[in-house]
Amino acid sequence: MERHDAIVIGAGLNGLVAAAYMARAGLDVLVLDRASAPGGVSAAHEIAPGFRLPRYTLGSGGLPPRIAADLGLAEHGLRFVRAEGGVSAFPDGSYHASYRDGAVHRREIARFSSRDADAFTRYRRDMLRAARGLAPLLSGPARGRAKGLFAGLRARLSFADRIAAIAPEDLNDMLRLWALPMSEYLDACFESDVVKAHLASAALIGGTLGPCSPTGASRLVGPWLSETGDAMGGAPDTLMPYGGPAALVDALTGVLDANGGRLRLEAEVTDILSKDAKVHGVVLANGEEIGADAILSGLDVKRSFLSLFRWKDLPEGLVERVGRVRMKGVAAKVNIALDAVPEFPYLPEGCPSLGGGLRLTGYIPAMERAFADWRERMPPRDPLIDVLIPSLIDPSLAPPGKHVLSALVHFVPETLHEGAWSDERRDALRDLVTARLAEVSPGIETRILACEVLLPDDIENEIGLTGGDLAYGETTLDQMFMNRPFPGHGGASTPLRNFYLCSPSAHPGPLVMGGSGANAAAEVIAARGGRR
Amino acid sequence: MTPDTAPQKEEPVEPNRKDIDPQDEQAAVDPALFEEKPIAPPFERTVLTTPLHLVTSLESRTNRWTDWNGYTVPEVLTGLGDEYRALRGAAALMDVSPLVKYRIAGRDAFAFLQRLVTRDIENLGVHRAVHVILCESRGLVLGDGLLFRLADDDYRLVTEETHLAWLMDSSEGFRVRIEDVSATLGTLSLQGPLSAFVLMQAGVGDVASLAPFAARWVTIAGMPVYLSRTGASGDLRYELWSDAEDAPHVWRWLVECGGPLGLRAAGFALRELARLEAGLPRAGQDYLSAFAAIDAREALPPAAIWASPAIDLDKGLFNGRAALRRGSDEPPARRVVSLAIEGLEPLRFSTLSLEGRVVGAATSTGFSPALGANIALAVIDAEAAAAGALLAAAERRDGLSVRETLASVRVLAKPARAHPRRLAVPAPLRP
Repeated sequence: MERHDAIVIGAGLNGLVAAAYMARAGLDVLVLDRASAPGGVSAAHEIAPGFRLPRYTLGSGGLPPRIAADLGLAEHGLRFVRAEGGVSAFPDGSYHASYRDGAVHRREIARFSSRDADAFTRYRRDMLRAARGLAPLLSGPARGRAKGLFAGLRARLSFADRIAAIAPEDLNDMLRLWALPMSEYLDACFESDVVKAHLASAALIGGTLGPCSPTGASRLVGPWLSETGDAMGGAPDTLMPYGGPAALVDALTGVLDANGGRLRLEAEVTDILSKDAKVHGVVLANGEEIGADAILSGLDVKRSFLSLFRWKDLPEGLVERVGRVRMKGVAAKVNIALDAVPEFPYLPEGCPSLGGGLRLTGYIPAMERAFADWRERMPPRDPLIDVLIPSLIDPSLAPPGKHVLSALVHFVPETLHEGAWSDERRDALRDLVTARLAEVSPGIETRILACEVLLPDDIENEIGLTGGDLAYGETTLDQMFMNRPFPGHGGASTPLRNFYLCSPSAHPGPLVMGGSGANAAAEVIAARGGRR
Repeated sequence: MTPDTAPQKEEPVEPNRKDIDPQDEQAAVDPALFEEKPIAPPFERTVLTTPLHLVTSLESRTNRWTDWNGYTVPEVLTGLGDEYRALRGAAALMDVSPLVKYRIAGRDAFAFLQRLVTRDIENLGVHRAVHVILCESRGLVLGDGLLFRLADDDYRLVTEETHLAWLMDSSEGFRVRIEDVSATLGTLSLQGPLSAFVLMQAGVGDVASLAPFAARWVTIAGMPVYLSRTGASGDLRYELWSDAEDAPHVWRWLVECGGPLGLRAAGFALRELARLEAGLPRAGQDYLSAFAAIDAREALPPAAIWASPAIDLDKGLFNGRAALRRGSDEPPARRVVSLAIEGLEPLRFSTLSLEGRVVGAATSTGFSPALGANIALAVIDAEAAAAGALLAAAERRDGLSVRETLASVRVLAKPARAHPRRLAVPAPLRP
């Protein structure tokens, strides 16, 4: 039987990151994927000949510089582009942009309120304080329990000490951030509805909380997590891979290849072989068996456990625990190929922030209504739409003079109250998105060469992501950090020996791109070192 | 008849003032007056210019500029040595328009300011100024500045950084109007032993009688100027506040009158050096506003920043009083201090150590030719400040190689320069 040090199931971004780390550490790694091209959710996709964009995701995220440097991705042709923080466009024709430069960003806010322009300093401080507090948690596994009784006691005491050492006002700041709804938190910071909506819309994307849901304020920290020390005092920017996520996948396969790792495509894993809660190999769809010391799954937590194992092989209670993990689709993806550059008459000409994305949003009450619609499983009436035109930054993604447009339509339920999505409903959603786009870019509807709509259900059916949940599990506090994927198992290792989760279903989840993969690789490498 | 109906269009008349009857509400008005002018988006001009930009750029021989509070100001206009000699021997003129200016007016303006600042402003008379400190509720400094009383219920607060949100949040319940008037004012700083004489030459009567921290309306070159005896310097100094449109003319007139006396226009580098010699910390540079300090330990109480901060715990309720009272008997853990390193050449240094342990960092450094020393403001651990035997890691460049040497550092008990002339009444007209 063929045998490897480690097998990674799924050549998605995190799977490839894990594989690349392990291969660099000298492990004999095999990556298996059922598709004919690597990338999973991030795979390269042509919507029309010459028009390339990620099929399922917006593709605005970037790998943290630490991972890119560790793996030497630059040697494999990866380049990053700094994009300013994006623009929110409102139905009344007003807009709010984010700028990296502090003075410019404050003047942008001052268009709405000079008080808020000054208040941004304090808001930025609070966000960066929270982000720095989270940083140690995000750069490795989040263990809920220390091993051993005394170590556990000591850890608990030092935790109590630390809480007691925090000034009451700081503790209150912390609690407000982690407990309040986003809208309440923003009300305490800013007076302008435009400023509040701009910040809220950026933070809501990808989550299952509305602007008025409790604990939602903590999501505001998200964009600040990658902010570095050399920041210029303005809004956080994003570091996007030149060429989109597909370029990231290319560079990662390059690293894997250069370090002797193997990637086998069109090889679907149907079963994982285990004995006494210890895994030792996989079975492919063609019946072939491959053995390995460690098996890493890049699939979501539900699919990993519930479809790759015989349930009776799983430890007691695990099936129920996995069943309780909440994965819900919240977004539909609309991909559009454009014949010409879209014009935005309401935005200033040459606005540099457009490269970081465009959000079509209403004010906070409208966002809350969109969220309520999603909860009631209504077809979206006024969704929050996140738009990225990656070809503005990287012209190679489309033929000369033409463009590709990615839109993530937020608050789209997986199934409707009336049942599954019908074709009419699907067409209505497409028309709604093009109508909203035409509001900010009149005439865009006449430039559409191709358009496809992917509902959460389509995402699940095509790539096997449960619920079509691009976050790989809801990102509420009870499913984050030391609770991701299960309580007390914040990290890649699972109750099954030698079986690891390297998908964003494990800590740190979607907060750090590639972070789950890097964590899993680190745990595998550490476990091997321990054994020797 | 509505204003936009046709008759005027048939025979387009030039706007003629005689035609307009101010009593006629239906009078035809040029609609262009009321058209909304598109405001340039912020990214189109990332750095703003001050009202004095044109005159300073004419003056500039070096074309070296710097960014101060989001404004372009000259770094050096002719040469730092030249400008420094003028500052110490005659007078130097600087554009300080990027300072933030708030107008605080209304029936409760006094009560509001008493609540806002740590010192008692009960005795602040009209046309007087004081240095004030703003604290938040934990007794940590938000900023400092000069508070002018322009009239009974009309004050001007001049600060380094913006504080509008804090001012407005604190004004809840007070009948005050708070306005950012920064853009409407041009501000000049005139420093040096001959500055009073220059003003006299420029036509200001009885300059000498103006007391330190006093102000008065004067006329310079036919323009109303609010002249105050204030400024970030340890020598005789004045600041001139005028309408933004008037400021360039005031500048030109002072240069014309003062030129023969040795007055030089100077840039931001000289202002920083003068401030450093006087030992005055600048917000955002030598200390951080508590609202900007991401690391909570970098937010400091007033006693850490100034040797004897103006705090009056008994004047009644003010922002931060309870915390300041609680902390009044315990010395701060970190302090802002003035330092000097003897030596005749400028040094680059930042890290400060005591017995091999890093105890702080220099936040502003400069070489003072008059003192023959490198001087600095630094934030260091309080016990290290008392110990005295500090070392600075100085960087010496020779070609492409860099040599790190340790230079011994003296903590200055008094600022490097505080000339008695600064506070002399009447102000001396001759050095």
